[in-house]
Amino acid sequence: MIANPASAYIHIPFCRRRCFYCDFPISVLGNHQRGETSGTVESYVDRLGEEIAATPKLNQSPLQTVFFGGGTPSLLSVPQLETILAQLDQRFGIAPAAEISMEMDPGTFDLEHLQGYLAAGITRISLGVQALDDATLESCGRYHRVVDVYHAVDWLHQVAMPNWSLDLISGLPHQTLTDWETGLSKAVALYPHHLSIYDLTVEPQTVFAKRYQPGDQPLPTDEQTAAMYRLAQAFLSAQGYDHYEVSNYAQPGHQCQHNLTYWRNQPYYGFGLGATSYTQLQRVSRPRTLATYSEWVKGFQAAGGIHSEPPTPTLEQLLDRLMLGLRLKEGIGGDEVRSLCDPTTWTTLRAALHPHIAQGWVILEGDTWATLQRLRLSDPEGFLFSNVVLSDCFRAIEDLQES
Amino acid sequence: MTEVPVSQIRNFSIIAHIDHGKSTLADRLLQRTGTVSDREMKAQFLDNMDLERERGITIKLQAARMNYKARDGKDYVLNLIDTPGHVDFSYEVSRSLIACEGALLVVDASQGVEAQTLANVYLALENNLEIIPVLNKIDLPGAEPERIRQEIEDIIGLDCSGAILASAKQGIGIDEILESIVYLVPPPADTVDQPLRALIFDSYYDSYRGVIVYFRVMDGTLRRKDKVRLMASGKEYEVDELGVLAPTQIEVDELHAGEVGYFAASIKAVEDARVGDTITLVQNPAKEALPGYAEAKPMVFCGLFPTVSDQFEELREALEKLRLSDAALQYEPETSSAMGFGFRCGFLGLLHMEIVQERLEREYNLDLITTAPSVIYRVTTIQGEVLEIDNPSTLPDPQAREKIEEPYVQLDMITPEEYVGALMELCQNRRGEFKDMRYLAQGRTTLIYELPLAEVVTDFFDQMKSRSKGYASMEYHLIGYRENHLSRLDILINGDPVDSLASIVHRDKAYYVGKALVEKLKELIPRHQFKIPIQAAIGSRVVASESIPALRKDVLAKCYGGDISRKKKLLQKQAKGKKRMKAVGTVDVPQEAFMAVLKLS
Repeated sequence: MIANPASAYIHIPFCRRRCFYCDFPISVLGNHQRGETSGTVESYVDRLGEEIAATPKLNQSPLQTVFFGGGTPSLLSVPQLETILAQLDQRFGIAPAAEISMEMDPGTFDLEHLQGYLAAGITRISLGVQALDDATLESCGRYHRVVDVYHAVDWLHQVAMPNWSLDLISGLPHQTLTDWETGLSKAVALYPHHLSIYDLTVEPQTVFAKRYQPGDQPLPTDEQTAAMYRLAQAFLSAQGYDHYEVSNYAQPGHQCQHNLTYWRNQPYYGFGLGATSYTQLQRVSRPRTLATYSEWVKGFQAAGGIHSEPPTPTLEQLLDRLMLGLRLKEGIGGDEVRSLCDPTTWTTLRAALHPHIAQGWVILEGDTWATLQRLRLSDPEGFLFSNVVLSDCFRAIEDLQES
Repeated sequence: MTEVPVSQIRNFSIIAHIDHGKSTLADRLLQRTGTVSDREMKAQFLDNMDLERERGITIKLQAARMNYKARDGKDYVLNLIDTPGHVDFSYEVSRSLIACEGALLVVDASQGVEAQTLANVYLALENNLEIIPVLNKIDLPGAEPERIRQEIEDIIGLDCSGAILASAKQGIGIDEILESIVYLVPPPADTVDQPLRALIFDSYYDSYRGVIVYFRVMDGTLRRKDKVRLMASGKEYEVDELGVLAPTQIEVDELHAGEVGYFAASIKAVEDARVGDTITLVQNPAKEALPGYAEAKPMVFCGLFPTVSDQFEELREALEKLRLSDAALQYEPETSSAMGFGFRCGFLGLLHMEIVQERLEREYNLDLITTAPSVIYRVTTIQGEVLEIDNPSTLPDPQAREKIEEPYVQLDMITPEEYVGALMELCQNRRGEFKDMRYLAQGRTTLIYELPLAEVVTDFFDQMKSRSKGYASMEYHLIGYRENHLSRLDILINGDPVDSLASIVHRDKAYYVGKALVEKLKELIPRHQFKIPIQAAIGSRVVASESIPALRKDVLAKCYGGDISRKKKLLQKQAKGKKRMKAVGTVDVPQEAFMAVLKLS
C-alpha cells in the first residue's frame, strides 16, 4: 500500500545574490527587488499556482506540514505568501495544527513582514544565519551582517515566535575551532528552539570550488571539521538540544516535522523550480531555471497532471530508506527494513552491516537481527562515518541487482 | 574483374604522419576512380575499427583495388596498400612497403616532415620504391608549400621540383596524383611464369571463413582451389575463396604476378598465416621464400587482471579470441598476491597494449586492472644462466644476480628548435645518451638519443608532446641490450609488499622514483579508518615513505529539500569506487594506483 502525502514543499528560488558555497536552484534579484516590486516573482507565483492546481489530490486528510524553502522565501510579499497558502489549502487542505515552515534570511524582511507572514499562517521559521561574525559572513558572500541577525532575532522574540530554528555552517574558510566554539555560544544565546549545523561541502561550480581545494588552506582540515562536529554535538547536547539528525538539533518537541517526512522516506508533494516531489513512489525533479520550469508546468498541465517517471523499485526504496533513515537518531524501524527485504536482500544487508556493527557504528536495537526493533547509527561516530556504512550497503545491494 | 596485363598494374602505398591527411586522400582516390560511390563513402573508408576512427589513426592496414583510365587511354589497375601509422607496427609497415613499387609521400604543407614519416620514407627508399611527394592541405591559410618543399629536399634529399600540390579535403590535385602513379611508379616485374611466391602483408580473423589473408603476388599465379604452402609456418591449405579488395571483397578465379588480393582457406588463427610469410604452391613450390620474414616480438609487458575474480575465465576466453586475429599478442597466466589470477601479456608497444586493453573492455565487456608496463630484462645469474625477465616481481634477488641488461632504443625526434632544450632535458631525465643533433630546414631540428626502452614505454610520448606543445614527433627502434645498475623497487603498503607495484629502476633514480611513487599513491589511495604507511624500498632499505592519515569523517552534511538524487549518486559513485578496488591486506587500493608509475610528473 502506498501512503498518502501529508506534506508539501514549495520552492521560492529568489535571492539577493548567490552565496559562494551555494549550488541550489536559485534566481538572483539583486539588492533592490523583492516580491512587492518584482514582476518576475509575481509571475513565478502564478506558475506555482498553476502547478498546484494541475496536481492531482492524493491525500484524504489535510496536509500536516508545509515548507517554504529557497532561495529566500522571505523575499515574498505577504499577499504572495497568502495566495500560495490559499491555493494549497483549497487544493489539498491544510490541517489546523499543521507545521508551516518558512526559511527567512536576516536583512531581507522587517517586523511588519514577519507579522504578516505569521498572520498568513506561518508557524515555524528557519533563520539563515550561517555565521555570527562579519568577516566570515563576508568571506562566504552572504548579503547580511551580524547586526541584521540581531534585528531579526529581536523581532522573533518580540512576536514570541513559538518555534524557530537557526542555521550555522562549520568548516568555512579561515574558521578555527575557537571561532567555531564562539559562534556556537553566540547562537545558543539567541535561544533558538532548533539548530541546523551544516559542515561545508565545496560543491562543484561554486565560487568556493574555484577558490579552494577541500582540505587545503584556508579551509580547515578534515581533522578540524570533524572536531567541530564533535564539539557541536557535545556542546549543544549539554545545552539541552537533542541531536536528532546528522546535522540537526532540537529542544524537546521542536523537531522539524516536515524534514522528518523526508528522512522517514514518506511521500510529499513538491512545487516550484528545482523542487522534487515523491508521490506514488515517483520521484520527480523539476527543471532548475525559470524558463524551463515554466515550460515544464505547461507540459504538466497538458499531460493532465500525470508524471511520467517510473515508480521507485523496491531495492531502490530500501537504499533510499537507509540513506535517509540512518541520518536520524531514531534510525529505521526493524519491521520497515524487513518489509523492503526479501530473504536474499536481508542476508546481504546483514553481511554488509556486520563489520560496522562490530565497530560500534551501527546499532541494532533489540540486540539481534531476529529481534531487530530499530537499526540506527551511533552518535557521533556512526554519524561521522555514515557514508562508509551506506556505500557498503549500496555496493552490496548493487551487486545483488547485477547478479 | 577484368584481366589486366602486368604492365598496367601499379602498386603503391601512402606514407604520411598522423593528421597529415592520408585517410582523406585515400577516400578521394577511391571516389575519383569510381571504386566507391559518393553514397557508399563513409568518411575515411579505409579505417575500419571504431578505435581508429576515434583516434584518427590507422592501426590495421587495408588495401583497395582501383580501376583507372589514364590520359593515355589505357585502363590501369591501381592497388593502394595502406600502412599503419604507428611506431608499434613498423614491421607491418615494412611488409606493406615491400609489396609496392611506389609510395606517395604526403606531407602537410604547413607542418612539414615528422619523425615517423621520415623513418618510413627511408624504409621505402631502401626497398627501391618510387616516391612521389605530395604537399597536402595547401588550401589552409598556414600552408607554405615552398618552405615544406625545400624541407623535404633538405632532409630527405628527394627532388621535390615535381611535388604535387594537393588538398584531399577540397579534391585539389587528385587527378595529378593518379596520373603520377601511372607514369612514375614502375609496373611490377613480369614474373608470371615463375613458381608462385606471394607476400602476406596483412591478415585478420573472420569467425565464419577463418583467417582472411591479404597478399601481393610477387611471382607466378594463384588460382582458386590451389593447394598452397606457407613457407615459414610450413602449413598447407586449399584456397576456398580468392578475391580482390575493391575495397569490399570481390571473388576472382586467379591472380597473377603484380596483383593484390585476399584468400580464405579455413585457417584457424592468424599466427598460422603471419605477416611477412611467403605463399607458394604445394605442387611446384618456389625454391626460396621472400626475404625479410620475422616473427613479431613483444617489447612491452604488463599484467592484466579482472577487477572481479570471477571474470578470470572470461578474460582467458577473450584473450584466446583476440589472439586468433592478433598474432603479436602474447599471454600467459600470472598469479599476484595483490591481484589474484590474471595474465602477463606481451605487446609490440604501448599503443598495441592500449588497443588490446580497450578491445577487451569494449568488445568483451571486461573490467580490468592493468599493471604498469615493463620491458624484457636480461638477467645473468651467478651460475651463468641467462634469464629473460618481463615481470619486475620475478627479478632474482641481488645476491643471485651477476648482472642485469636492459633493451635500448635509438630515438629520433623532429622538433621546432625552440623545444630542443626541453626535449633534451626530458631525454637526460630518462637516462638518455645524446648522439646527434642536426638542423633541418627552417628552424627545425632532429635530435637523436639512445635510451633505455623502459624509459620510453612509460609516459615518454605524452611528455614529449606536452614539452613541445604537440609539435615534436618521434620514432624509435631497438638497438640492443646494455648492462646497467638496476634494482627492484618494492612498494610496501601498510607493511605488506605489493608485487604488482614493484618496478625495476636504475640505482641513480631509485630515490626519485620511490619518492614520486609514494607521493602519487598517497594521492590515489583513499583514507581508511587507520593511518597507512606507504614505503618504497630496495631490498630492506627504505628509500622513501609517506603515510595516508586516518579518515576523520565521511558524511553528507545535508539532504536538502528532499532532493536526494544527487546525494544518492555520490553514494553510488563511492560504492562503485569500492568495487573497483583491490584489497591489499586491509587496505583497499584503486585501479589507477597500479598504473601510478606512469603518472609521475
